[in-house]
Amino acid sequence: MRTKIILLICLVFILIWPAIQLYQHRHFQIPIVAGPGVTRVTKLSHYLPALKGTMADTWIFWLEGQESGGKALILGNSHANEPEGMLAALVVIENGLVERGTLLVIPQFNHSASRATRPGDGYPLYFNIDTKWGKKKFRMGNREASPLDQWPDPDVYLHYPDKQLLSFLDARNVNRTWPGRPKGLLMEQVTYAAMELIRQEKVDLVIDIHGAETMFPVTNCIVAPEKSAKLATMVSLTVKATEKFDNHVEPSPPKFRGLSHREIGDYSDAMPFLLEAPIPFLDQPTGPKTEKFLLDGKDPFLLRLSRKNKLFVPYDETGWPIDKRVGQHLSVTLEILRQYSRRTPERSIIIHNVPRYAEVVEKGVGYYFQDPSQVRRDRIYLN
Amino acid sequence: MKLSIKRFLSLFGLIILASFLFLIPIIAQTKIPKANLPVLSTSAGQSNDVNTINIILEEAGIKYDYCDVPDVDLIKSGVGLADRESGPGFHVEVYTDLSKYPKGTPYKTIIFAIGASLKGMGASGLTVEAEEARLKRIVEYCQKNKIYIIAVHVGGSALRGAPGSDNERMIDAVAPFANHIIVTKDSNKDGRFTNIAKAKNIPLTEVDYALDLVNIFKQIFQ
Repeated sequence: MRTKIILLICLVFILIWPAIQLYQHRHFQIPIVAGPGVTRVTKLSHYLPALKGTMADTWIFWLEGQESGGKALILGNSHANEPEGMLAALVVIENGLVERGTLLVIPQFNHSASRATRPGDGYPLYFNIDTKWGKKKFRMGNREASPLDQWPDPDVYLHYPDKQLLSFLDARNVNRTWPGRPKGLLMEQVTYAAMELIRQEKVDLVIDIHGAETMFPVTNCIVAPEKSAKLATMVSLTVKATEKFDNHVEPSPPKFRGLSHREIGDYSDAMPFLLEAPIPFLDQPTGPKTEKFLLDGKDPFLLRLSRKNKLFVPYDETGWPIDKRVGQHLSVTLEILRQYSRRTPERSIIIHNVPRYAEVVEKGVGYYFQDPSQVRRDRIYLN
Repeated sequence: MKLSIKRFLSLFGLIILASFLFLIPIIAQTKIPKANLPVLSTSAGQSNDVNTINIILEEAGIKYDYCDVPDVDLIKSGVGLADRESGPGFHVEVYTDLSKYPKGTPYKTIIFAIGASLKGMGASGLTVEAEEARLKRIVEYCQKNKIYIIAVHVGGSALRGAPGSDNERMIDAVAPFANHIIVTKDSNKDGRFTNIAKAKNIPLTEVDYALDLVNIFKQIFQ
């Protein structure tokens, strides 16, 4: 009897302890400081009220210039296990000053996914970024939305409206549910709301920021459909020549549906761009998925594979640190805005005070985050 | 004594000749040859680099026509490319200033963006052999009709390969017959283009980055 009671206590502990950790992770709030350039903050549910009160609703930060011009939308955390997108978006929110045009930034596009973890992969639940004032703690999310928010999964996900058959998991992946529909699955509602935002606000450019495995060919690149390809190529050539890093252009496949770089261009006037930086943490033949590995991108197994030419990016003992990934994303984003503004002066978007690649690599991404304890409370948004 | 003078003169001659040969590529790299409009851009191997070349031409303010897979008949039709329209595996763009060069004006220059893509060739219904044969026909037509050929390789090591590989076959099909070869340094790490340029006495321009071609094209078509 005593043994049974001990076993029962152990079982309860085994079940309760992780449950408490996951509950805390799901409800952990990241303070986002609205920097001096943020003129207003709204919610995505403004464009689809059905999202209101759900875990899928998310903040939109508006940085509006004094002069009217074009509009650009930046999306971070479409995949919440690729945090460089969210960090780059936060650097823009906390530092950017828009002189002309409007910048809309959604740092946690798949908000539900940012409050879940990846079952079976041993992801850390949190990661910390060093700043001038201490460590800033972030939730580490998952690629797909939490099943607590969208359930059950279908056997096969049927993309709307093209009826392409996709993996069941992609029903919770916002980068397979574009352009969405108002009464569809929760993630289809998220992308539909974003499409409405893009159409109603007449957004010119959409920049969806991601990370991709070093063993995946579509990495370290800008994915662009036909309508964005020339601008993307000019951006790629410019950052290579002026900032000395590679970021080639990959064409958006017309027959692969549901992706932002395909559907946004097809269902609105906006030019979409999807940015990929190499994130070794997502590769499969690696050591443990630790917080350190997530941040420094160093792994001995990938190093050996690199020596056998099995990777699609250069890889050495220096890994692919988070500062390099965020820096690349910021430079490419700024260059997209600059090249678009050059070609379309009447719809230009001019932004200052956002660091580029070399500065982020030198100072670290944490240098650009403000201390929430030193900021007025009405400028802090918990996310 | 006489023999020593002969030897001295032979040695001196050799030094002069060697210095001259050494200087040829340097001269070639510093002096940019001129070419004339109208110009057609096309691909040798159907890689995406032809889009890079088109964008560079736009940045340089040079009006051009583009076709990814033209054959001799289409090139013969001159500016405007016979009003052909793009379709699956066939792309045409006409930007030439028609007030200066009316439709049908023969092209004076063709720019080949060299780089093999099996995906690109497949999309155009071409095999490597078919692409080689097409390039051979075009190059022969250009040579017969004194159309200036500029061979460009900006794809770096990603668009290079072992001897006989697809990329090298595209280089062989165009570069030795060009009037001017332009490459990025990382495309020419092994000196392949330098060797072709030396062997065929073709001016070679080597640049650090593809973006540097904006100024090069401005100088070429000035």
